[in-house]
Amino acid sequence: MRRIKILTIILLIILVTMVSFFGVYVHVQNRMENKVKEYALDMDLKGARHVKLVANTESKEVIKDANGNEVETEEEMTDEQLAEKGYTKESVLNNSQDSLTLENYEKSKHIIEERLKSQGVEEYEISLNDKNGEILVQIPENGATDNLVSNMNTVGKFEIIDAETKEVLMTNQDIKLAKVMYGADTSSSSNGTVVYLNIEFNKEGKEKLKNISNTYKEGEVIPVNTTNTTDNTTSENTTNTSTDGNTTNETSTPETKQKEVTMKIDGEEMMTTSFDEVIENGILQLSMGSATTDSDALQEYINSASTIASVLDSGNLPIQYDIEKNEYILSDVTNTQIEYIALAVGIILLIGLLVLMIRYKLNGVLSAIGFIGIVSIYLLVIRYTNVSVSIQGIVGIVVTIILNYIFVNKMLWKIKHSEDYKKLENVKQGIKESYKEFFLRIIPICISIIVLCFANWSTISSFGMVMFWGIVLIALYNYLITSTMLKAKAEK
Amino acid sequence: MKQFIKSKQLKITLIVLVIIAGIVMIAVKGFNFDLKYQDTQKVELYLQTQFNISDIKQITNEVFGNQKVMIQKVEVFEDSVSITTNTISDEQKNNLITKINEKYGTKITAEDTKIENVAHTRGRDIVKPYILPFAIATLITLVYLGIRYHKLKASKVVLKSIGLMLLTQIILFSVIAITRIPIGRLTIPMVILVYLLTLFGIANKYEKNLQERNIEEKKNKKN
Repeated sequence: MRRIKILTIILLIILVTMVSFFGVYVHVQNRMENKVKEYALDMDLKGARHVKLVANTESKEVIKDANGNEVETEEEMTDEQLAEKGYTKESVLNNSQDSLTLENYEKSKHIIEERLKSQGVEEYEISLNDKNGEILVQIPENGATDNLVSNMNTVGKFEIIDAETKEVLMTNQDIKLAKVMYGADTSSSSNGTVVYLNIEFNKEGKEKLKNISNTYKEGEVIPVNTTNTTDNTTSENTTNTSTDGNTTNETSTPETKQKEVTMKIDGEEMMTTSFDEVIENGILQLSMGSATTDSDALQEYINSASTIASVLDSGNLPIQYDIEKNEYILSDVTNTQIEYIALAVGIILLIGLLVLMIRYKLNGVLSAIGFIGIVSIYLLVIRYTNVSVSIQGIVGIVVTIILNYIFVNKMLWKIKHSEDYKKLENVKQGIKESYKEFFLRIIPICISIIVLCFANWSTISSFGMVMFWGIVLIALYNYLITSTMLKAKAEK
Repeated sequence: MKQFIKSKQLKITLIVLVIIAGIVMIAVKGFNFDLKYQDTQKVELYLQTQFNISDIKQITNEVFGNQKVMIQKVEVFEDSVSITTNTISDEQKNNLITKINEKYGTKITAEDTKIENVAHTRGRDIVKPYILPFAIATLITLVYLGIRYHKLKASKVVLKSIGLMLLTQIILFSVIAITRIPIGRLTIPMVILVYLLTLFGIANKYEKNLQERNIEEKKNKKN
C-alpha cells in the first residue's frame, strides 16, 4: 500500500514534468499544436515599441492684426482682403527658438512620462537628448500601444472659448484634475452605461467656471441677424428678391441665438454647448458618446476619455513634437541566451539533487524526485496565473528554487539527525520543526514579496508574483507531496 | 576565542578594503555602464530576409572589433536589423554595409543609411520606479523585525538591520565597480537578490539569538 502510494506520486510527478517541459500536443489542421500556455514575457525579454520624438521644425502662417495680435479666422482671405482689414500674414515657427530650451525638453519628457503613467503603462524607458530635445520612448507592445503612441505628442492645449466671439475663457492653467468616470444612464430607460470625462478645476478655474456657466446658461441669448431661404414664400416686413422660383428673405428684425461655449483640445473642436445650470462645485462632467450596453463600445468610450483625461491631467507640452520613428524592436536577449541560462540552472540543480541523494540516501532520492515535480508545477503555475516574466522574474524563479532546496535540505537533515529517522513520529516531528524554522526565517522575505506584488512597475510586480507563487508552492507542495513520500517511506 | 576575533577582524578588514577599492574605482573610472545605458549610435538595415543574430555578430566583430555591440531584430517580420554601438564612423558604416550586402545579397547604400544618435537612459530614471516599493517593503519588514525580536532590543535590531542592508548593497556596488561588471539590466536583479539574501541572513541570525536567549531564560528560571 505504501509502495503504491509512493509509486503513484512518482508517476504523477513524471506526468506533470512531461506536460511542463515538453507540452501537450494536439493535431490541429495538419500540424501539431502545443496546448500548454506560453509564458507571458515582459518588455525586457520580448521587445518594445520604440518611439522617437523630435522637436517640430516646420513653420505655420498666422494672421495678425494691426496691433500684432493673432487673429483666429476660419475663412481663407486673399492678400487684398487682409490689407483691407489691416491684417498681415506672417510665417512663424511652430516651436520658436526661445522655446527650444533644456528646461522645456525636460518638461516635455516629464509630461510624456506622466501621460504614460496615467494611462496605466507599467513599464517604459525614456531618454532625452539634452542637445536637440529628441526623446526616445520604449513601451510594451500590446493592444493599447498605438493609442499610447498617438497620444504621446499631443500638445494638449485645452481651451474653453466663446463660440461666437472666440474669446478664450479657460485654459490648462485652470485644470486641477481630469479623470474618467462611468455610471448607469438615469435619463432614459435604456439601462446603458455612460462614460464621463470629469474635469475638476482649481480655485481660480472654479470661479471662472461658475461665471461662465452663469453667462452661458441655457436660455441666455445673443442678438443676431439671419438670412433665411424658403421656397416660394413671402412674409411681411421683408424685402423679396426672386431668383428661379425661390425667394430670399432678408429679415430686418433682430433674432436671437443661444450663447454657447466651445471646448477645444489642440485647436480641435471637441464640443459646443451651453450649460443647464450654474456649476458651483468646479467640476465639469462631459459625457463621452451615448449610453450603451455594448462592452466594446463602452471600452472605446473609456479609452478615448482616458486619453483626453491623461492629456489634460499632464498639462500641455511646451514644445510641439513629431513622431519620427515608431517601430517594434525585439529584445537583445535572445531565446538562445535564455535557453543557456535555463540549462545552467538545470545543471546546477541536478548537481544539488545528486548531493541530496548521496547525503540522505533513499530520503534524498524521494526528495529529489519531489523537487523535479515542484519545479515542473511551478513553471506551469507561472504560465497559467498570467505572471509576465521579466529578467527579475527569472531571478525570482532561481531564488525560489534555492529557497526550496534550503527547505528540503533542512527537512532531510532534521529527519536524519532525529533519534530514529525510520520512525514515523520522528519524521513527522522533523517535518514540523523544519516548517516552523524555515518559514519563521523567511517571513521578512514574504513581507517584501507581498509588497512588491502590488508595485505599479511590471518588472517589480513580475518578481513579486513569481516569488509569491513560489513560496506558496513550497509550503503546499512539500506538505502534500514531499512529506507524504517521506512519511510513507518511514512507515515502511 | 582568539581565532574568532582574528577571523572577525579579517572579515572587517576585507570588507573595508573592498569598499575602499570600490570607492577609488568609482572616483577614478566610474561605473562601467552597459551599452543600453550609454550615449550610443545606431544604424538600421533592411535585409529583406530573416537572419541569424550570430551571423550579424560575426560581421560586427569584424567591423567594430572590440567595441561593444547590441544587435536587435526589428519589426514582426524580423527582416531588419538594428545595430547599436558606442560610435560608428563613416568608414565603419561603409564597411558594415559592404559586408552585409555580400552576405545577404542586398543593395543597401551608405547614402540611404543614417547613423542615429541615441541618448542614454539616466541612472536615476532606471532606479526611480524601484525606490518606493522597496522603501515600503523595507519599512514594513523593519517594523516586523522590531516586533518579532523585541526581546533582543527592538531599536538595536532595527538599526543593525538597516546597517546590514546598506552594507551589503555598498559591498555589492564596490564589487561591481572593481570587477567592472557593466551596470545594466542585470544590476537591479543582483540588488534584489542581495536584498533578499540579507533579509534571510538577518532573520536567521536573530532567530538563533532569540532561541539562545529563550533557552538561557528557561535555565535561569530553573535555577
